[in-house]
Amino acid sequence: MNTVLWVIYPYICLAIFVVGHFWRYKYDKFGWTTRSSQLYEDKLLRIGSPLFHFGMLGVIAGHVMGLLIPQSWTSAIGISPHTYHYIALIGGIPAGLATVAGLIILVYRRRRTGPVFSATTVNDKVMYLVLGIVILLGIWNTIAGSLLQFGGEYNYRDGVSPWFRSIFYFQPDAALMAGAPIGFQLHAFFAFLLFAMWPFTRLVHVFSAPIGYFTRPYIVYRSSDVRPGVGVGTHAPARGWDRPELQKKE
Amino acid sequence: MNSPRIDGPLSEALVGTRRYFTRGEVSDDQRTMHLEGGRQGDSFYRDRWSHDKVVRSTHGVNCTGSCSWKVYVKDGIITWEAQQTDYPSAGADRPEYEPRGCPRGAAFSWYTYSPTRVRYPYVRGVLLEMFREAKAAVGGDPVVAWASIVQDPEKAHRYKSARGKGGLVRSTWDEVVELVAAAHVYTVKRWGPDRIAGFSPIPAMSPVSYASGARFLELIGAPMLSFYDWYADLPNASPQMFGDQTDVPESGDWWDAGYLMMWGSNVPLTRTPDAHWMTEARYRGQKVVAVAPDYAENVKFADEWVTCNPGADGALALAMGHVILKEYFVDRQVQFFVDYNRRYTDLPFLVTLDEVSEGSEDGTDGTTAYRPGKNLVAADFDNRQRESENAVFKPVVFDGATGRPAVPNGSIGFRYGDEGWGKWNLDLEGIEPVLTMYAGGTSTSDPASGVAEVVLPRFDTADGHVTYVRRGVPTRRVGGRLVTTVLDLMLAQYGVSRPGLPGEWPADYDDASTPATPAWQEPITGVPAQQVTRLAREWAQNAIDTTGRGMILMGAGTNHWFHSDQIYRAMLVLTTITGCQGRNGGGWAHYVGQEKIRPIMGFQHMAFALDWHRPPRHMNQTAYWYVNTSQYRYDTFTADDLDAGTGVFADKGVMDLLAQSVRLGWTPSYPTFTRSSLVLADEARAAGQEPIPYVVDQLKSGELKFAVEDPEAEENHPRILSLWRANLLGSSAKGNEYFLKHLLGADNAVSAAEAPPEKRPAGIVWPEHAPEGKLDLLTTLDFRMTSSTLFSDVVLPAATWYEKHDLNTTDMHPFVHAFSPAIAPPWQSKTDWDTWKAVAKKFSELAVDHLGTRTDVVAKPLWHDTPEAMATPHGIVKDWRTGEVEPVPGRTLPVLALAERDYPAVYDKMTSIGPLLEKVGMLTKGVPYDVTREVDILRGRNGVRNGGAGDGQPRLETDIHMADAILHLSGTANGHLATHGFRNVEKRTGTQLHDLAAEHEGKQITFADTQVQPVPVITSPEWSGSESGGRRYSPFTINVERLKPFHTLTGRQQFYLDHDWILGMGEALPVYRPPLNMTTLFGESEIGVQNELGVSVRYLTPHNKWSIHSEYQDNLFMLSLSRGGQTIWMSDRDAAKVGIKDNDWVEAVNRNGVVAARAIVSHRMPEGTIFMHHAQDRLIDVPLTETNQRRGGIHNSLTRILIKPSHIIGGYAQLAYFFNYIGPTGNNRDEVTMIRRRTDQNVTY
Repeated sequence: MNTVLWVIYPYICLAIFVVGHFWRYKYDKFGWTTRSSQLYEDKLLRIGSPLFHFGMLGVIAGHVMGLLIPQSWTSAIGISPHTYHYIALIGGIPAGLATVAGLIILVYRRRRTGPVFSATTVNDKVMYLVLGIVILLGIWNTIAGSLLQFGGEYNYRDGVSPWFRSIFYFQPDAALMAGAPIGFQLHAFFAFLLFAMWPFTRLVHVFSAPIGYFTRPYIVYRSSDVRPGVGVGTHAPARGWDRPELQKKE
Repeated sequence: MNSPRIDGPLSEALVGTRRYFTRGEVSDDQRTMHLEGGRQGDSFYRDRWSHDKVVRSTHGVNCTGSCSWKVYVKDGIITWEAQQTDYPSAGADRPEYEPRGCPRGAAFSWYTYSPTRVRYPYVRGVLLEMFREAKAAVGGDPVVAWASIVQDPEKAHRYKSARGKGGLVRSTWDEVVELVAAAHVYTVKRWGPDRIAGFSPIPAMSPVSYASGARFLELIGAPMLSFYDWYADLPNASPQMFGDQTDVPESGDWWDAGYLMMWGSNVPLTRTPDAHWMTEARYRGQKVVAVAPDYAENVKFADEWVTCNPGADGALALAMGHVILKEYFVDRQVQFFVDYNRRYTDLPFLVTLDEVSEGSEDGTDGTTAYRPGKNLVAADFDNRQRESENAVFKPVVFDGATGRPAVPNGSIGFRYGDEGWGKWNLDLEGIEPVLTMYAGGTSTSDPASGVAEVVLPRFDTADGHVTYVRRGVPTRRVGGRLVTTVLDLMLAQYGVSRPGLPGEWPADYDDASTPATPAWQEPITGVPAQQVTRLAREWAQNAIDTTGRGMILMGAGTNHWFHSDQIYRAMLVLTTITGCQGRNGGGWAHYVGQEKIRPIMGFQHMAFALDWHRPPRHMNQTAYWYVNTSQYRYDTFTADDLDAGTGVFADKGVMDLLAQSVRLGWTPSYPTFTRSSLVLADEARAAGQEPIPYVVDQLKSGELKFAVEDPEAEENHPRILSLWRANLLGSSAKGNEYFLKHLLGADNAVSAAEAPPEKRPAGIVWPEHAPEGKLDLLTTLDFRMTSSTLFSDVVLPAATWYEKHDLNTTDMHPFVHAFSPAIAPPWQSKTDWDTWKAVAKKFSELAVDHLGTRTDVVAKPLWHDTPEAMATPHGIVKDWRTGEVEPVPGRTLPVLALAERDYPAVYDKMTSIGPLLEKVGMLTKGVPYDVTREVDILRGRNGVRNGGAGDGQPRLETDIHMADAILHLSGTANGHLATHGFRNVEKRTGTQLHDLAAEHEGKQITFADTQVQPVPVITSPEWSGSESGGRRYSPFTINVERLKPFHTLTGRQQFYLDHDWILGMGEALPVYRPPLNMTTLFGESEIGVQNELGVSVRYLTPHNKWSIHSEYQDNLFMLSLSRGGQTIWMSDRDAAKVGIKDNDWVEAVNRNGVVAARAIVSHRMPEGTIFMHHAQDRLIDVPLTETNQRRGGIHNSLTRILIKPSHIIGGYAQLAYFFNYIGPTGNNRDEVTMIRRRTDQNVTY
């Protein structure tokens, strides 16, 4: 059972995540969108969206720190577990609270604003549910597990983090996860579910976040190029036609 | 960095790093980046607008815009449409036609692939199963199979009661055509061909499609039902005054007007592509006035808004007339007006005065009083023309030059017969008609002059009942008769006093006690008296200053009333006495229902198969449904409730009058006789008699009756109705619920009571129960599901307007252009032409065994523009039924004619041009044409038919053949024919006309021409205006400039009507008649009453901004732009009375039916009136009602047919029948309803 849950299941989810994105990009390029509802409502969005998204950035940063950086590395530079924890909570709690507050505003807005609700699909609703579960479980783990230490002390950097990294070494160790508290197990389970759903939801917009805009000049010129099988122009001639080739003079 | 900074330091720092991340080149100033390639995404937007072809087409049945459209096709799919811009120029120094088009037209391509598209032939399952079983049981003969179903009451009830309840199943074309053809064959055989009917409206916008079914039906002897009168768009005032169906200026002529009133016509909404002329003309200094009860779209364009109460427009027009008559005809004379009226109107004509008999209810007080009587005619007194031909049809004026009565040229008496050659014109030949007999009052030096008091009716009472006013007119004695002029009577009618004339006159404009002062109209119309006085002065002064360039755009707001002929006549007095008719930029401009098919001659002869049989069977549809949906049984009043207390209709119901009108040959009636018209011929032959004398004898003896006298007997029911280009049950069916009940036998919401015994028509057989489900087969051809298809037994998939060849013309644009198929009709749809051809072919096959060749006795009413219009001297009604006269076909009976119906040859005849065109020529509006040349050209163009009934004749196999036949056989598209026609008119008028078309004598417009570009038409005798020299079209310019008479009794524009019935109704001259009082007639609550059923309001059904003409209510784009679904507009004040909030579900209920819709509460609406926009089908968001738990109705579920007796007069000069020329209107504006908020706002479907 542990092998299924903590080895097979994560790989399936990650495989769907990777292949799914390729598939979506190839076959649904015009559907690669957040389907923004800003046109329908913007007052609540203006508060909720930055709260959620910047909170989310903090949460992701925390996960990178907690999951990908081995405890041995932080110890090596003299950060005690206690200090580490302190840092994690200082950064994590505000980020988590911002995320949750943002999410509540956004969900409230989505439900109570008629046009926005009308533009909400079943796909969206399921995705929000899973996303919400993952976030709430994460907060629970942070607050109940790490801060208040319900159910005893548990250092996820000894269990969850090595397990997570082991997936990527292709030497998955289910036992590491089997011993984790149920809260962490559920969080991990739903997180992988979310990864599996990811390519088929609006979450794909994560990969098209316009960070290039930070460094992009205002005007971009693109000249035509000559492509094999297409020649000059934007698409290949239909079958049965030969487009007159414009030869580049050498 | 030397370049100017464009951003803050942070941005600059960030952008400055870009050069390290890209292969592209970032400019020094960091504004631009140059990349190579990566433009694959471009194909998205480049392909978006790429297409394979562009096809010229337009929007079919009903659109008045005549906009030509580019239809784009991509990968075999119609993708979008865009406006064409290649219209002919409207001329130098004026705005052009383009831009044309509207959002509705631009949304049409949605229909091609819409979810409601009819893709396959459908038949109601229960009927199809029975048909298949019956066919198998009888050995495969579909006619016998059909008979076995409809003759079995249980089976017939089973499929008829399923109508409207779904259950349509897919069939095949072969099967469904066989079923339809078999039903036709059976009905012709069992009941006679006139028990079948077809309805397709307004051919102008797709004459070929119209002609498809019409040609088939006329060939088998079935009547086509009219549309113009049925839609209540026909203004009967036009035939009454002008002797013309309707002829109006093109929209480009609005530019020429100096003063423009929009009176009940909301042109930005209903004439969107043309409205620009109205706004542009204002920059030229034109004054624009809007008369509308609500804050309508056109109001915001107008310089002045006149808020006239609904239905009160007649009073407003009369008061304006009062001011104009007083200030410009009595206080001073304007030479321009005097000259115009002497020549072009009947104001100087003499009218005899009849002494009111003793004890008359109009209160003679001991002094002698008179009623206006008949026109004085040449036959009435001693003069040179007394013994001349048609002397009783030659009205008389008083000649100021000789001091004697004189008979001027141009009256109808000169139009026919040998003596009138060259004299039917408006040349006064030295006569100086005197406009008035007035010589200063009672004391006059002329012993022949005197004064008489006339009794004039007034109806300005709460319930519209008649009272009287007595006023003096100056008189003279001619041949022992007391006479006065029409102007003198009009001045009395309008209450314009002159010194010395006795009677009850208003003291001044502020005297509200008596008609027709500005103060009198104020409580009726709600328009301030001072405003009326000012408008009248402005109107008259503009006419003087511009020589008659004042125009009134009038429309459905003033035209759809029961008494709209009176409203219109009062309005037309304004345009006519001021010399505005027959001018560019002047006159009436009636834009309701676009009846005008410019190539009318070719259309009429081809569509009604006049190349094979004459006469056709033409039926006025209002009377047809009044009788056949049994609505007459719900007339809880009698005809003398409608007259002026004269007793002319004493003890008669409206149905009695209709029956009388039918038997005197005034108005058509199909089914005609109580026996089949084929059987009558057989019977005659069996009796050794000729059919026509036999029928006359049978009628005289009473053995044969007219079907209208016994309409509920099964042998007199209509049996088959076919609809194409039409949505009868979702749009035009006034009394929709009565249709569902009596015609179809379906569920309905009628709650009205039938007439009590004392109110029933005495001359009509009245069984205790009227049958339900009279009709055996209802077939609809359409490309979308409508309320009509829901109730049809057979639904056939039709091509849309982007999928067929056809022609398009309107009255508002002097050009003709084409429909062309952008794609072939998709799925299993067919063009109307191909569908009817398929039915005709199967019909002909089945007819071999069942019908063969039969003789058909065709009854046709006395036609306008023929000598038959002289059947009723003086308009005195004499009935052969009561023995006053002998029954004589064509005089006191309908014209009776025989047609040899070779039924197996119907298909051959339909697809070739028959021999009658060459043998007897063509006749349109009284003008004969020789068309042997044209038929020969068509042999060359269409090819020649080999074998069959049409051997050696031009082919008529395709829609393009038909389009070319129409164009070649019409003067408007064939310059040779137009010139030829004018030369024929010249013989009668003696005035020069042919030069009007001479500039185009060699021009022939072909169908191919119209596909290239909209082509301007040619001036032709088919119409009354001239386009010669690129002039804008305005009606009657030929009459005014070339002295060609109007087609009326006097040959002039005629204010005075002297028919017995009209005199009896008190409508000899325009008079104000308020909307019908539904409380006294039907017991509905009075407007304003509030009770537990809601509030009582006037119920109007004007046009819908989001669904008229070029598309329909169900179009998704338009539903998205509007509120969507059925809606009722009401004022915030009415809504507040009964607690209705905007968007609430409301229910409107009256005796005719129930409507369940959402309310739109708006300040725009006047109190006491609600609008339910026209043609809101029962398909889109119509819930079950609270009233009866059945699906809510359509806008016409609350209306019903009401026939005005004066509309069924015939056989008398301009008051004579022609198809869509004159007839009872399907008026609908007088209705009232209760409206309330639904107690349960959670509706169910």
